[in-house]
Amino acid sequence: MTTEDLDLYNSAPFGDLLLGPDGRITLVNSTFATWVGFTAEALAGRRLRDLLTVPTRIFYETSVAPVLKLQGGFEEVSFDLLTASGGKLPVLASALEHRGADGRVLFTRVGMMRARERRGYEQALQGRAAEAVGKLTAEQETAQLREQFIAVLGHDLRNPLASIVGAARLLRREGQSEKALKILAMMEASVDRMAGLIDDVMDFARGRLGSGIGLHRNVALLEPVLRQVVEELEANHPSRDIICEFDVSEVVSFDAGRIGQLVSNLLGNALAHGDPKAAVRLGAVARAGAFQVSVVNAGPAIPAQAMERLFQPFFRGEVRASQQGLGLGLHIASEIARAHGGTLTVVSNETETRFTLDVPSAGSA
Amino acid sequence: MSAVQRNNVHVQGAGTQAMVFAHGFGCDQAMWRHVAPAFESDFQTVLFDAVGAGRSDLSAYDAVKYADLAGYADDLVEIVQELGLTQIVFVGHSVSAMVGVLASLKAPELFSKLILVGPSPRYIDDGDYVGGFGAAQIEELLEFLADNPMGWSQAMAPAIMGNPDRPELGEELTDSFCRTDPVIAEDFARATFTSDNRADLDRVTIPTLILQCSDDIIAPLEVGQYVHAHIAGSQLVVLEATGHCPNLSAPAEVTAAIRAYV
Repeated sequence: MTTEDLDLYNSAPFGDLLLGPDGRITLVNSTFATWVGFTAEALAGRRLRDLLTVPTRIFYETSVAPVLKLQGGFEEVSFDLLTASGGKLPVLASALEHRGADGRVLFTRVGMMRARERRGYEQALQGRAAEAVGKLTAEQETAQLREQFIAVLGHDLRNPLASIVGAARLLRREGQSEKALKILAMMEASVDRMAGLIDDVMDFARGRLGSGIGLHRNVALLEPVLRQVVEELEANHPSRDIICEFDVSEVVSFDAGRIGQLVSNLLGNALAHGDPKAAVRLGAVARAGAFQVSVVNAGPAIPAQAMERLFQPFFRGEVRASQQGLGLGLHIASEIARAHGGTLTVVSNETETRFTLDVPSAGSA
Repeated sequence: MSAVQRNNVHVQGAGTQAMVFAHGFGCDQAMWRHVAPAFESDFQTVLFDAVGAGRSDLSAYDAVKYADLAGYADDLVEIVQELGLTQIVFVGHSVSAMVGVLASLKAPELFSKLILVGPSPRYIDDGDYVGGFGAAQIEELLEFLADNPMGWSQAMAPAIMGNPDRPELGEELTDSFCRTDPVIAEDFARATFTSDNRADLDRVTIPTLILQCSDDIIAPLEVGQYVHAHIAGSQLVVLEATGHCPNLSAPAEVTAAIRAYV
């Protein structure tokens, strides 16, 4: 090399080594020599692996040397260099073989950058990742315990509730005053509501703990189930119109109780959240074993942030004083759809909000 | 999934006898590319990737099974049996040499000859036994591998070989060699470098050739001599090749040594 070339070589901001065909060092630049604390003369004739700590020497011989032989180079390999003072210097290295016309290796050029900062950064990242995984696992375990507790609690609450129902029934038979009867009716309504909440909680817990919403499917007509739900809701909302558009003369396979629950939830939401002056429309189609149910209401669109979380458990959107619920209704509805092998989707704009349940034929689920 | 699929088995050549090649820690079956083809006219050559290496099925990895070299030995026996082979010539490099030894103890009827390239039954020194490394150094190696899981990046470029016009750089290279899954490699390193199979050497009944490199820090001469002393009837050939991978650095010498033995 000319003096200028040599100056350029020596002053490079990275370590630059040349290895001969036998793999031994023929030249190192000043930068590298300074880093490791040996003179260029002391380094000449040594092998690359001699510059490494014993552990990274093993890594080099087993994992890096083969690649150098197979591919004529390697890139971005981490090493620890041994320094003259007995310390170790982390580096990142790349190498390239240079072959002559006959294909034999003339020399190998190795470039090295110091990697203390990078190594420290990587270790910190790994530490944080491990910590996060640890926390996540702990959280998941806690969540599981919590859900098991909920299941047990829900189950245990049913007995005292049943007692109250029985007791109220007995009191009715005793012949009561009109006021007492009204109070009994309020108690029964409250118990009903509690029972509904417990059922929702149990469904939720069962879904989360993996057993899922169990179904009892029967092949039947949809119309009776839909009509019954509509009647119940019309009874509770006498001033509201529910318009039905049914094309359900074919039988389909479904769980009547669960589909009823789903439709009741959707209709209830439509009546509660939609334009009170407009009708709510319930549509249903049954064709070739598949069926679709849609619930449409007018009124303001569901806000975008709410749309993302609509089917998630405990999501309550804007909670009104009149609403008493856990925010599980839509979540359970979507789980019912899923258990049927179908989907529950929603489209909402300023014109209408439309929830659609699509269930494929039972054979294809 | 069959063993042939799981271990990315490749069978070439023609011959009444099979020669099965097993790669060592840190690489994959590509490391035999300059040796195996030389035997294709006389043998059915079988190459495979240990689970975690090359194009083996990583989903087959089981940390419990492969915590011990016996897990890898089971896979080897399974491959040989699935291919319907028997009386094979086994050529194993580095830790896979010991895997072959263990497999031959498990199913001796499948093996006709064992050729061990750079074997070591134990890497950590123990009293008078020279393995080559201290326990602290092996621990440091395992820590290094844990801290540098991407220390071996996928950015390998065969296009580098003297032809900068190739645009393959940066793309997924189906030709990349010595692929090892970093997480599995860490476990494999632990299983390898903390292994102790010295007691198994004395039980070997298959004719064995040991190919020992000069100046191999992973399997030094004392270790090769130890293996030779403990496998009855074995032959030891000291190669002129240096380093730990003579199948890559001196393939002609390795091929000649194998040929002289089979």
